[in-house]
Amino acid sequence: MRIGWRYLAIGIAISVLLSSELLFLGKSRGALFAPTFPLELPIFAVLGSIGGLMTFTSDRTKGVFEYLLAYGVRPGNLFRNGLIATVAMSGIILGTALAIGLGLAEPRGVPLPESFWEALAYYTLPMSFGAALVTSTVGMIWASLSSPRAGLNSPVGIAPMIGTGPTILILLAAETAPTADYYYITGGASAALIVLAVVLLALSSRLMGRERFLSNI
Amino acid sequence: MEMRSGSPAPAPTVPPGSGTDGHRIVVRDLSSGYHGTRVLRSVSFTIEEPAIYVVLGANGAGKTTLFRTLAGILPAYSGSIEIDGETTREGGSGRHLQYLSHIDGFPDGFTVEEALRFYATVQGASEPDVARVVRLLDLGELRGRFFSELSQGQRKRASIARIFLQERGIYLLDEPTSNLDPKLAREIRDLVLGLSRHDVILYSSHNLFEAKEIGKYVLALKNGQVEYFGLLSDLRPKKYVVGIRATGAEGILAALTKKGDYYLQELAGPEEVPKFLNELVARGVQIREIKEMENPMEDLFT
Repeated sequence: MRIGWRYLAIGIAISVLLSSELLFLGKSRGALFAPTFPLELPIFAVLGSIGGLMTFTSDRTKGVFEYLLAYGVRPGNLFRNGLIATVAMSGIILGTALAIGLGLAEPRGVPLPESFWEALAYYTLPMSFGAALVTSTVGMIWASLSSPRAGLNSPVGIAPMIGTGPTILILLAAETAPTADYYYITGGASAALIVLAVVLLALSSRLMGRERFLSNI
Repeated sequence: MEMRSGSPAPAPTVPPGSGTDGHRIVVRDLSSGYHGTRVLRSVSFTIEEPAIYVVLGANGAGKTTLFRTLAGILPAYSGSIEIDGETTREGGSGRHLQYLSHIDGFPDGFTVEEALRFYATVQGASEPDVARVVRLLDLGELRGRFFSELSQGQRKRASIARIFLQERGIYLLDEPTSNLDPKLAREIRDLVLGLSRHDVILYSSHNLFEAKEIGKYVLALKNGQVEYFGLLSDLRPKKYVVGIRATGAEGILAALTKKGDYYLQELAGPEEVPKFLNELVARGVQIREIKEMENPMEDLFT
């Protein structure tokens, strides 16, 4: 299993910059940190996890999978390794961003109410892994279904939008909706995305036949 | 040209020759392809003798599909493949054979040595095996370089190294000398010829001169079916044409068709060559060189 360290670094860098912005810039002086930070983390996680999909797409195009299949590696293992790389990268980014965000918030005395920890548990964690898995699964299926026409066989261009689109919409909706709806929006969204991820994973074994792992070259 | 059908039965068989090492491929009524579309249709053949089997066919004839199916990369839609006594339908035949794709298959961000180590691990080869193939393919200077930095020929050389990581007895080589300079192509052919003394080599190439030089048998595919399977030496061209480089007796030579430096003459067969030469010499033609102008394998592409 290999992962795209470049994308991991980008994801971590963006998360650090945005955490700093919430804590140090603007008029809020940290007041926005607790309600906003848990909603932003999944965006970083998805962006940073694109490296898993990049590696999958690159290995497929370059014929690496063709050799691995010839040496007896099962297609399911190739698919699973792509997902493991995605989850691993999401986890690293989440952990790093949380450590940095909390490490910066603590000395500034930013209040972290119980709702902050609840949002982390029922929205940030499931949404981060769910959105990253959906992005990766859709991207891998897209990559293997698409024809070799230029620009269409690379899912990497649209993949970030697949995962970050819902997380950004939820961020906007949760911040503008009445407070009472906050839990319904975030909890409902993370549950829906997890269900979508499970459905896609179940379908993937049917959609990813052996020839789907071969390069179009 | 004599044609021997390869499908569906009786399956063409190359009998075991002296020095057979027990490697055997039996393909029965095999159909395979991509996304449900059949590329190979009812292909049958049996290989039992260590030798180089040149796999020929026009683009789209099914050469790569045959290799991929034999290697277990693609599943068979119908029929069966028996390799060294084990019947496979899918799941890879890595234990029995080495496969060289026409694509390099080196991962991004790996140096040559890292990639060889990676494939050695996958194949169950060891660190000394990596060192051995680095020496064998003269990759010492390239071992620390990233694959993306290499020229086409260097990439091919590094890619070929992979098939020598472990001895398997059966080698499927899809255009192994494409993109190589003549010197390196010669070295690769010599390595493959060395293997063929005790191993079975299926070798696809569009270079008919190369095929003629190294092949003992020809497996020709046309539209996904076996067009010919047998000894290369048994192939006869539709036309037998000789070319001579000669001087003198201008009037006689002028009556012949000229192609480059060669005057061409169509004959009934090789048995007519001495008579033809004697007639020319008797008429004062000074012959410097004579060669067969037709490659019988060309007919397999028409």
